[in-house]
Amino acid sequence: MPWRRLLGWFRRVFGKKKVIKLGLYGPPNAGKTTLANKISMDWTGEPVGRVSEIPHETREVQKKEQIIVRAAGKKLVMNLLDMPGIATKVDFEEFMQHGLTKEAAQQRAKEATKGVIEAIKWLERVDTALVVMDSTRDPYTQVNITIIGNLEAREIPIIIVANKLDLQDANPDAIKDAFPQHHVVEVSALTGKFVDELYGEIAKYAR
Amino acid sequence: MTIEIEFISSNVLLKKESDEKIKYILDKVKKNKILVVEESMSALEESRLIEATMKQIKGKFSGIEISTLKDKGSEGIKQRLIRALGGNTGGLTVIGPSKIIRKVKKQPQSISLLAGE
Repeated sequence: MPWRRLLGWFRRVFGKKKVIKLGLYGPPNAGKTTLANKISMDWTGEPVGRVSEIPHETREVQKKEQIIVRAAGKKLVMNLLDMPGIATKVDFEEFMQHGLTKEAAQQRAKEATKGVIEAIKWLERVDTALVVMDSTRDPYTQVNITIIGNLEAREIPIIIVANKLDLQDANPDAIKDAFPQHHVVEVSALTGKFVDELYGEIAKYAR
Repeated sequence: MTIEIEFISSNVLLKKESDEKIKYILDKVKKNKILVVEESMSALEESRLIEATMKQIKGKFSGIEISTLKDKGSEGIKQRLIRALGGNTGGLTVIGPSKIIRKVKKQPQSISLLAGE
């Protein structure tokens, strides 16, 4: 929608300093919360949320407001929005395999489905999106394609984060090959490797 | 085990509004059918389908697997215009219950699917 760009231009030129709503999107267990924590710790000294090996640990949008990021000669004020992972299925039996009781697994599944819906609703409200992918997995999935397609349709700037570079079988090139039309930044949110480069990309493309 | 695969002409869905289309698809998928639809879905329709799926997850229904092949990589102005005028944008969509579809491997020009209970 061109009006969105026009509105953004007017805001930048005539309005007060904009607070950028930066959404972290991706499938479950891609490392969104680990990355959100890294960004938040770097600039505020406080984490955003809890991480877990069990999928759908983040079941509500977690926010960290008024983060001031200085990179590439710019100062950005951001509200960081760590989204629940988007999935096409939520199976409580999968949670039971991680040791949860049936009741706890069913409750987690119920909350996870609401989280997916919430994350989708936020797709039209973020200003810039980091689409976080696990570099050890096949990136050419329908969930990744649907997320990116929705953001493209709304002309929201996208930076793809090829995460988990610290793992031996990481293959960030597969992500670059799958989405050649987008900027891809390789990082390890866990170790912090190349996260500074990500800040540079955010400063360059966020609006 | 028996797996039912239903091939659906784009003409069936063209007459339906977006919500009707999603209901039609989910009703069939919940009956353990794998659907092969002679049309790609737009990204916005896919996200609405995911939302509708999440609202229906309960008991034995744990969601869907979906894969779409588009004529082109992304939804261009031409595709949107054709869609708005009620035309067929080409492509293909495969949708089924996640309990039955074990694995979907998507390539830019093909979809392979492993199904079984």
